[in-house]
Amino acid sequence: MKTFHFITIVLISGAFAGLIHGTVNFAIVEPYLDQAIGIENQNLFESGEEEDSPQFWVEYEGYRVWQKSGQILAGVILGTSVGALFGIVFALSRNSLPGSNDVKRALILAGIMWLTLYLIPFLKYPANPPTVGDAETVVLRAALYISFITISGIGAIMFYKLSRKFKNRKKLVSIIGYGIFISAVFFVMPENPDEITAPMNLVNEFRFMSVLGVSSFWISVGIILGFFWNRFESNKDTMQYS
Amino acid sequence: MSESRQITVSKTGVSKLAILALAIVFAAGLFVVGFDQGHVFSLVYGEQAYTDLYIHELTHDMRHAAGFPCH
Ligand SMILES: [Zn+2]
Repeated sequence: MKTFHFITIVLISGAFAGLIHGTVNFAIVEPYLDQAIGIENQNLFESGEEEDSPQFWVEYEGYRVWQKSGQILAGVILGTSVGALFGIVFALSRNSLPGSNDVKRALILAGIMWLTLYLIPFLKYPANPPTVGDAETVVLRAALYISFITISGIGAIMFYKLSRKFKNRKKLVSIIGYGIFISAVFFVMPENPDEITAPMNLVNEFRFMSVLGVSSFWISVGIILGFFWNRFESNKDTMQYS
Repeated sequence: MSESRQITVSKTGVSKLAILALAIVFAAGLFVVGFDQGHVFSLVYGEQAYTDLYIHELTHDMRHAAGFPCH
C-alpha cells in the first residue's frame, strides 16, 4: 500500500469512528452529564457561590450548548487520534493477527486494544460524571490514568513478544502472564483520591453508557479500517506478502 | 527485488515516516481532548486562555464520556 493511502485510510477511519462515538455519546451520555451538572448547580446555589437567577441560567445555557456541541467535534478529534495509534499497531501487527480477512484481523486487534488500553484501566479508574472530580487532584488523576494505560499497553506488547517464543497452546502462557502482571499493577497502583458524593446509581448508569460509547468507537474503527485495508491492499500485494 | 527488502516489506508494508506522522497525530489529539487545560490556546492568546479554557469547554463532555479525569 502507498504511504499516502495508508495515512489517508487510517485518518478517515479514526475520524469516522470518532464521529460515531461522539454521536452515540450525544444520545446516551449527555442526559447523565446534564443530571450531574444539575446536582452541581444545586450545590453552588446552596453554598452561596452562585445565585439561582435568570442571569445564571442564561450563562449556563450558553456554555452547556457549547459543551454539548463539542461532544461531536471532540469525538472526531479523539477518534482521529486514537485511530492513528490503531493504524500504527495494525500496520505493524497485521501479519501476525489471526483472521481470514482484514476486517476480522482489525476487529481482533480493536478488541485487544479495547481490553488492554480501555476496559482494564477503566476498571481501576472508572469514568466519572461532573461533580465527582476534585479540581485539586486532576493532575494526579491524569498521571495515574495515563500511567496505568501505558503500563498495560507496554505489558501487552511484552507478553505478545514472549508468546512468539512459544508454539500453539503454550501461547496461552503469555496471556495468563499478562493477566497476572496487570492484576499486580492493578492492586499496587494508588486509588482515585476523590470521594464520590454524587448519587451512586447516577454514577453507575453514567459509567455504563460511557463504556457503550467507547466500545462503539473500537468496533467502528476496526470494521472501517479493515474494510479500507481490504480495498486498498491489492491482490498482487497480498500475494507478495504471503 | 532483493530478499532483505522483501522481508522488510512483508513485515510492515508501511514507511517509518507514515508511522511518525500518525504518532504525532495521536499525541496531539489525545492531549487536546484528554488533558489540555488551556495550553493550546495560551500559545496564541497568552495567559487569558487559562481563564477562558475554550478548548477545555469544547472537549469537556467527551473528556468525561471517554473516561479522562476531569472535575
Ligand atoms: Zn468536567
